[in-house]
Amino acid sequence: MIYEELVGIVGAGNVSEAPEVLEAYSKDMSFAHPVRPDCVVKPGNAADVQKIVQLANETLTPLTPVSSGSPHFRGDTIPGVGGAVIADLSGMKKIIRVDRPNRVAMCEPGVTFAELIAATEAEGLRLNAPLAPRQSKSVVGSLLEREPVLMPRYHWDISDPLACVEVVLGTGDVFRTGAAAGPGTIEEQWRAGSAQRASSGPSQASFHRLIQGAQGTMGIVTWTSVACEKRPRIEEPFLVGSTNLERMTELLHWFVKLRLVNECLLLNRANVAAVLAREWPDGLREARASLPPWVLLFSTAGYDYLPEERLDYQIKDIRDICRRVGVDPVPALSGIPASLLLDVVRRPSAEPYWKLRERGGCLDIFFLTLYDKLPGLMAVMAGLADEAGYAATEMGVYLQPIVQGTNCHCEFNIFYDPQDAVESQRVRDLDRKAALKLAAAGAFFSRPYGESARMIMNRDAATARALTKVKAVFDPNNIMNPGRLCF
Amino acid sequence: MALEKGIYRAFEDIVGPDNISEEPAILDAYAWTGIVQKEKNSTPAARKQTGFQRFAVRCEAILLPGETKEVQSIVRLCNKRGLRFKAFSTGWIGGNIPSGPGAVQIDLRRMNRILEINEKNMYAVVEPYVIGAQLQAELMKVGLNCNITGGGSQTSALPIAAHWGTGHAAHSISNGERNLLALEWVSPEGDIVRTGSLGSIDEWFCGDGPGPSLRGIVRGSITPFGGMGVYTKAATKVYYWPGPSMFPVEGVSPRYKPAEIPPCFMIRYFSFPSMESRAEAMRQISESEIAFELMGFPIPMIASNMATSNQEEREIFARLTKEVRGPGFVVIITGSSQREFSYRTKVLKEIIEATDGTSLRAMEDPEIGGAQMWRFIRPTASIRETFRATGDHSGVFPGHNEFAPVVRLARDIAIVKKELQEKGLLLDDGAEAFPWTEEYGNLSHAEVLYRFSASPASFEGVRHLNEESVKLAVKERAGVPFFVTGDELHDVFGPVASNYHVWLRRIKKAFDPNGAADSASYITARDE
Amino acid sequence: MALEDYRRNMEMCCRCSCCKFIPLERLEGYRYAHVCPSVARYNFHAYSGGGRIGMGVGMLERRFEYSDTFLKVLYDCQMCGGCDVSCKYAMDMDVLDPINEMRIACVGSGRTLPVLDRLRDNLRKTGVMVGKRAGLSEWAAGLDVTEVSEKKAKVVYHAGCRARFDEEQWKVSRAALALLKRAGIDVGIAREELCCGGRAYEMGYREDFLTQAEKKMDQLRKSGAETLVTGCADCFHTLSVLYDRFAMKGDMEVLHITEYLNRLIKEGRIEPARKVEAKVVYHDPCHLGRLGEPYVPWEGKEIPGHIRLFDPPKELRRGTHGVYEPPREILRSIPGIKLVEMERRREYAWCCGAGGGVEESNPAFAAWTAKERMDEAISTGADALVTACSGCERSFRASAEKNGMPMKIFRR
Repeated sequence: MIYEELVGIVGAGNVSEAPEVLEAYSKDMSFAHPVRPDCVVKPGNAADVQKIVQLANETLTPLTPVSSGSPHFRGDTIPGVGGAVIADLSGMKKIIRVDRPNRVAMCEPGVTFAELIAATEAEGLRLNAPLAPRQSKSVVGSLLEREPVLMPRYHWDISDPLACVEVVLGTGDVFRTGAAAGPGTIEEQWRAGSAQRASSGPSQASFHRLIQGAQGTMGIVTWTSVACEKRPRIEEPFLVGSTNLERMTELLHWFVKLRLVNECLLLNRANVAAVLAREWPDGLREARASLPPWVLLFSTAGYDYLPEERLDYQIKDIRDICRRVGVDPVPALSGIPASLLLDVVRRPSAEPYWKLRERGGCLDIFFLTLYDKLPGLMAVMAGLADEAGYAATEMGVYLQPIVQGTNCHCEFNIFYDPQDAVESQRVRDLDRKAALKLAAAGAFFSRPYGESARMIMNRDAATARALTKVKAVFDPNNIMNPGRLCF
Repeated sequence: MALEKGIYRAFEDIVGPDNISEEPAILDAYAWTGIVQKEKNSTPAARKQTGFQRFAVRCEAILLPGETKEVQSIVRLCNKRGLRFKAFSTGWIGGNIPSGPGAVQIDLRRMNRILEINEKNMYAVVEPYVIGAQLQAELMKVGLNCNITGGGSQTSALPIAAHWGTGHAAHSISNGERNLLALEWVSPEGDIVRTGSLGSIDEWFCGDGPGPSLRGIVRGSITPFGGMGVYTKAATKVYYWPGPSMFPVEGVSPRYKPAEIPPCFMIRYFSFPSMESRAEAMRQISESEIAFELMGFPIPMIASNMATSNQEEREIFARLTKEVRGPGFVVIITGSSQREFSYRTKVLKEIIEATDGTSLRAMEDPEIGGAQMWRFIRPTASIRETFRATGDHSGVFPGHNEFAPVVRLARDIAIVKKELQEKGLLLDDGAEAFPWTEEYGNLSHAEVLYRFSASPASFEGVRHLNEESVKLAVKERAGVPFFVTGDELHDVFGPVASNYHVWLRRIKKAFDPNGAADSASYITARDE
Repeated sequence: MALEDYRRNMEMCCRCSCCKFIPLERLEGYRYAHVCPSVARYNFHAYSGGGRIGMGVGMLERRFEYSDTFLKVLYDCQMCGGCDVSCKYAMDMDVLDPINEMRIACVGSGRTLPVLDRLRDNLRKTGVMVGKRAGLSEWAAGLDVTEVSEKKAKVVYHAGCRARFDEEQWKVSRAALALLKRAGIDVGIAREELCCGGRAYEMGYREDFLTQAEKKMDQLRKSGAETLVTGCADCFHTLSVLYDRFAMKGDMEVLHITEYLNRLIKEGRIEPARKVEAKVVYHDPCHLGRLGEPYVPWEGKEIPGHIRLFDPPKELRRGTHGVYEPPREILRSIPGIKLVEMERRREYAWCCGAGGGVEESNPAFAAWTAKERMDEAISTGADALVTACSGCERSFRASAEKNGMPMKIFRR
């Protein structure tokens, strides 16, 4: 029944019940239990999305929205219950607007980083993007997931760089958040000079925060405005290598605190190798052996106003800090140019996706924490890896200061061969044990996915209760991705 | 209406006999706002006499809880016994006024501790009655700083205290909505909710998650003014402070001045021949990321700030007015190093030259400029700029949006204000709208302040200005303004702004089914 | 002026709460942010300067009865003027004067505190508010100094009631006289010194104050003195400011002993020679510091219109010209002394707790206030606390004894 109605909304070519299609959407790279949807529908525009959601309400059909192309990693694009319909928005690929004077762009969910980066660069803007996202990654999806971004200097709030969204709520109502709410239509706002960059509100609630992090449980976003930054006129990146994690976090702290750098991130040598494997195949084996355990990448930039002088003073001030900390920033480390690494990390990953390149599979364990907790967390993770029989030295680590340094995204990338059943089981066991132990050591799983999501939500019953009330407001029939988080 | 003895006793058992009062004189001290009340907040008896008055409605009792558990108990009791509660920190500008009889006021004065300052991850945790000056003073000792609400450093340091939480330094250190991290919150039904990392692992660094963020409920571009319960502790982002641990102020009140301007600090006031050239200068300064503060103060406000009396203000204003060419702004430049400072001042010079700005000589004077700089870094003279002249003061506050539409709206509101001034219905303060940018130009905001007298005619002028401002704000597509609070205004703006009022009402209903959190300046859960 | 005359002034209060804190430009840290002992102790907004102002308008509008609780709120106030200074940093309005008028209005209505009534009765009966009349000249026993009731003197030294009845304080007054004599000053005293009446005014007994003040001025005129020097800050405020306000002082110069001694040191007539190795901290008495600012006579009216302006222009007393430096200069002139400062000082010093009738009406609150100040003094690491007021000295001494604090207390 619902199939026919969906065809009536989007056309037969955009609805599929084909077994191989359903099979493809029933699972992903995570250990989430496979659940086949009833069908997959591909809306072409916001009106389609609204009709689909309204239909789902009438028929009490669970909907699972998907923005990015495969492979998926978190389990949140797999239906949580049977009888669901996947709403695949990856075909909504309009870049609606790029506004240089107001430094904001607006795009639909199917737009990838490669596409939006090209569009914004053409206007002299750039995105504050996550680390080397996969080619098929949706910008909107990334923003809604609150993925960490590379430039903490421009990360004023954890919701950045997301500005406003248009969302079809679980009730089927269309709502726009922040300044986009109104008064006026979007076009009228543009004519008035507004650009949908102010994210808070409208008025006495900040609705965008309830949509972000919701894993599609509140509604389906049909466009997002995203804050952009200016493109630098000149840049100079550096690397700092060290065996000492505390020294590295001291550097991160000062670089971000004094707003001296743009991109600023810390990788362990395994992740440097993984990220660069395609671009640096020949020298990488040697480089890997000589790379220090920790590699900090940062870049300095000059813009429209005396760019060379800006770069000059920043580099000198940075060198002063490095001297105090006892490290040396260099343009290349173990033969790897900082400029190469910078270019790789801030662009979408070449295929195959860097996390899958070496072994074919990757489990990400990530959370937010404080600098001082990191050594303890490293030790816990090493212990867990040991217990699971996984070589800790093979594990990638990515540390990203966010929200202008008020916290740090910590990510462990466990590379493994998903075809190897024994190894897969080991990694799965590691995943199951990790959340509890890491939480006890200071890890905050702000974005819970997978098998530990419910356990993480249950740690905070009051928040879960409050979120349930919010859910009841925006999705009273619980049709939006049921089974996720605490819903 | 006095509280039933049993209810009074129950409250007394919660907070202790020294921390509750229903004494009429004490209640009147709280009902005194000093500001002429809108009719809906005055008693019928008062309206008969004068049409308006300065005492708002008396609440049933004042309660002074000392800790969160007491707040929770109070809230639960109110829910049980059909009372409303209105919580506030310093309680200024009507932030403490309930909507009518049948409410208790929760004065959070006793909850006044700084709980943590995390230097490495740059946040501070405060209770509601820590004032901005206290937090800033402690932060400066360790090379840090915080955003202080423009109303003044005598207001709460909580980034979610009443109003919107934007301030003089928002240009480089943002505003309350964006600076809020984790929050401890007593919901309108009396649940203690600890958001983000606080609820999960008892740390304050993140206010979001797990999953969606409850920061979306507890405030928007403006706060719910107590309509969503009580905020008992909050973490706020803090920022680098390049200055000394204590600004080198000397002198005797009210004439303080710095012994010296600290190295790598500079303040200037530039005026421009037109709004356009000022806007361009502000845009370039924002994009260049060189400024610590950038505020489009009109000269009358600068004069008020400098002057230590109304008499002196007239003299200073007369002098400064001759020097300025048109609209202007204050800019404060700092540097974490001499190199940085030199670069920034050089860029500023180029921008000002390119946009035809003229420097105000008075601000170049180290004593005058230095004194004003400190009063902007630690906002202490907002009251000079607003209430000193007449004791009565208010403003129309557009919201956050891009610079052009926000400034245009403010300008159009200011035109209405001028017409009313010419008719003698509003008082001539010589000031036009003033804009500023936040987060290096990511956001802009503007305000139109006005003065009125305690007379029926002037009050009619105020009413007319507010009415016209609503119409202009609906027409001009510059976002939902900050002055939109209360059912009436939400019902005007909601239908033209994604029906947000419907959702706000549903959220209110979900979290406050008994209507216990007084919604004088929020929204009520009326049936749709 | 009556309370009604302060209505427009009181209506200026915008409830900003600045009156609760020291002028915020000067705030150095979390701990010593407060200036008003009353609201710091009792927390209800009604206990602050702004809160009392609101109640003052309420009194005019007859919104409540003068209950015991209302009187408690009104009288649990040392009348220290901290709120007044802090408010006037930004505003053009008086805070302390209307609060005083509220007390006067209460007295006028017959609703007062019995314990303070007893002090007033004592004044009427014996001419002093504290202690017994008899024995109040014992402090000067054996002193070789002119008795001004018998012979005129150019300078009259006024010891003050507290200094006279508190044996522990006699040595200070005696030492002051000795110094003046050593400097060759033609100084006398009135062994039957009359109370200045200032405390009565602060408590609201305006008429009793005026009666007493007339008697006092009569005694002073008969002394022939051109200059009055006093060691009591309370009395200094009364004789210098209040008497001027009520046009009683005439041309007589009124100085605090610290001002006079400082003058003599600068003229070379006294030279502090003995070395004293000590780290000391100075406490500014309210009535010498912020309230000791000279009275500025003014007669005129408010200009109708909107901005609150006066014709002729009215200069408000904001605490700017109080006596702050002379005591400090004296201390700095003593060899070996290292002078340190508390965070709250000068025009925003925390009160000793004793003023406004609080010592009598609420001794526990007075003691609490004093301890707060003692804690602050001790936090400076000083060996000794020096002040320039007999009331402050008594208050701190009692606090140090009660709380076992090792700090010494001295008065100039």
